[in-house]
Amino acid sequence: MEFAFTDDQRLLAEAVRDALAKSCPPDVVRTARTDPEARRGPAWRALAEIGLLGAHVPEEHGGLGLTPVDTVLAYEEIGRAAVPGPVVETAVAAPVILCSDRLLDEDRDWLPKIATGEAAISVRTDDMPYLLDADLADLLVVQYAIGAALTGPDDAELTPRASADPTRRLFSDHLGHDGETLVCWRVGPEPHDPEGMRPVFARAFDHAALAVAAQLAGAARRLLDDSVAYAKQRHQFGRPIGSFQAVKHQLADVAIAIEFAAPMVYRAAAALTEEVPTASRDVSAAKVMAGDAAHRAARTALQVHGAIGYTEELDLHLWLNRVWALRPAWGDDRLHRARLRAALLDGKGAVRWP
Amino acid sequence: MDLSFSAAQREFRAEVRDWLTTHVPAEPLPSMDTVDGFARHREWERTLAGARLSAVSWPEEYGGRGAGLIEWLIFEEEYWRSGAPGRVSQNGIFLLAPTLMAYGTEEQRRRFLPRMARADDIWAQAWSEPEAGSDLAALRATATPDGDGWRLAGQKTWSSRAAYADWGFGLFRSDPATESDKGRHRGLTYFLFPLDAPGLTVRPIAQLGGEPGFAELFFDGVYVSADQVLGAVGAGWQVAMATTSSERGLTLRSPGRFMATADRLLDLARGSDDQALRDHAVRAWLDAEAYRLHTFHVATRPADGAELGARSSLMKVFWSELDLRMHETALDLLGPAEPGPWREGFLFALAGPIYAGTNEIQRNIIAERVLGLPR
Repeated sequence: MEFAFTDDQRLLAEAVRDALAKSCPPDVVRTARTDPEARRGPAWRALAEIGLLGAHVPEEHGGLGLTPVDTVLAYEEIGRAAVPGPVVETAVAAPVILCSDRLLDEDRDWLPKIATGEAAISVRTDDMPYLLDADLADLLVVQYAIGAALTGPDDAELTPRASADPTRRLFSDHLGHDGETLVCWRVGPEPHDPEGMRPVFARAFDHAALAVAAQLAGAARRLLDDSVAYAKQRHQFGRPIGSFQAVKHQLADVAIAIEFAAPMVYRAAAALTEEVPTASRDVSAAKVMAGDAAHRAARTALQVHGAIGYTEELDLHLWLNRVWALRPAWGDDRLHRARLRAALLDGKGAVRWP
Repeated sequence: MDLSFSAAQREFRAEVRDWLTTHVPAEPLPSMDTVDGFARHREWERTLAGARLSAVSWPEEYGGRGAGLIEWLIFEEEYWRSGAPGRVSQNGIFLLAPTLMAYGTEEQRRRFLPRMARADDIWAQAWSEPEAGSDLAALRATATPDGDGWRLAGQKTWSSRAAYADWGFGLFRSDPATESDKGRHRGLTYFLFPLDAPGLTVRPIAQLGGEPGFAELFFDGVYVSADQVLGAVGAGWQVAMATTSSERGLTLRSPGRFMATADRLLDLARGSDDQALRDHAVRAWLDAEAYRLHTFHVATRPADGAELGARSSLMKVFWSELDLRMHETALDLLGPAEPGPWREGFLFALAGPIYAGTNEIQRNIIAERVLGLPR
């Protein structure tokens, strides 16, 4: 029993944190609301340089071949910095799918481009309604009930959809199929093999959901840090507002929520790394608990900041919107709770791991 | 990161499970807050001690097995999973003993620990006073030098197990000059005393469930010899804080207890078609998992595990509110049906946010000492 991270894993997270402090200050996140380039800008390049974009690309394809345990702390840092762009889709979900032996050899040509940061990829499963940042993606990977499709954005008829976070553009895709057969889009060697691709997308889904859970935990930590700093500095009635118990207790509750959500996120990373039978359930638990902690952090942060937090003048809204956008990403709570009920209440009952 | 248990740990788990399967009483014991129930719980503690299972983490010379933290957590998981009786010795074994190991003299350890492990002595705690609850440092009970020893005077209250226990431990003001606001954490001394000492009156207090789970203690010049002072004279506050950190964190309420409750709650939820309650049960089970994993995380880093300090307040709020939530959900699932042990468990859980420092105090500690907010 050694439920802790190695020095290398911590160092990678620290490197990501340092790089993002320079390449992804709040101004850059702000710019990403209007400038598509900012979603693939300096932060994207910094993550490629550190190797994070290629972390889950196998070494023979130019990546680092790391595991979820290796990168989960780094994804917390990505959440802490509110990095814009389809990082999870490109660096976590896409490699799982593109490595599948059900695809063509030439599809694997994308893998080195992921590692260098040359390619941005948007991915969705048939459980998910929208594609993230499809407008700037070089490749779209989509699962349909009747098959899977890989295509360039020009071949897809994309319709912008409202997003809780203007730094995250959402699109629905149309021309994928006419109800029976896939048209326009190239699929794997077995065009009508939806069942064969199902476990591949399911695996990609779990890995991406974990990365989002880690980002939510990181965003929650950032919101707590900023709220504590503000509560120390803001004075009313001649005292810092952080000296009032009504404020203290709310912030203590955020600290508790994060303290106990984080180990669930780390356990899910270990479960995916070791491919244990409970891995999908553990990912859902991590996603729900990190999402709840982040939501509590966001609500409390807004309340502690008061009216100034309810504006775009402060940077706070960037993290609030990010949390509210990430919670429904890669499976909303309804989906993950259903998976948890099925795993814990149906069938042979609740199995513990470890 | 390696979440597996070693072969020796798996073997230990199997041994404990096996032993409990054959030894746990088939019928639940009567409440430990009755004369008969207390005696039966003491007997059970002796049975546990006979297998060297009453205090597995203690050194062997005091009656333990010298087991590590992970083994102790495994023991706890198995213990509560088996439906074994509540631990009438817990105040001594889990709260006083860690403090004795850290601050006691070798003579004190040899004198008290083996008897504690065998339940020859069952210990009660004596922290609160009528005017010193959450504000413990406001305590007024005094200790006055008398020859080589001390005379204790004053009143303690909410003293768990004291109605039937043999010994007590608590803080007394040994330097009356320190009662002012500034110095009041100084001048306190930690004493160990027999509850049948001349001049000590124990008045049992019936709790919410009707039985005397705690008592008031009246000290009228109770003589205590110098070898029953724990730690240095005047250093009682620091010594006591070591106990409260144990109480709030790892040792009093290990994850095993809540995992067992969560499993029973899931069993109840499986028979329900109420989706909201089923979701509550699932969430509670996951929270119990979170507490377990958090504990493994802490236990993996011995530097933090040994002295949890203020972080133990995060744990105390979490487990006490989880315990209450689980019992509330269970009672909701049962509706008008016979609540059985869930009713007793609910009453016990209700005390969780109050004892070992109220959750309001814990949240202050988290805010001030973990987050660094101003007092």
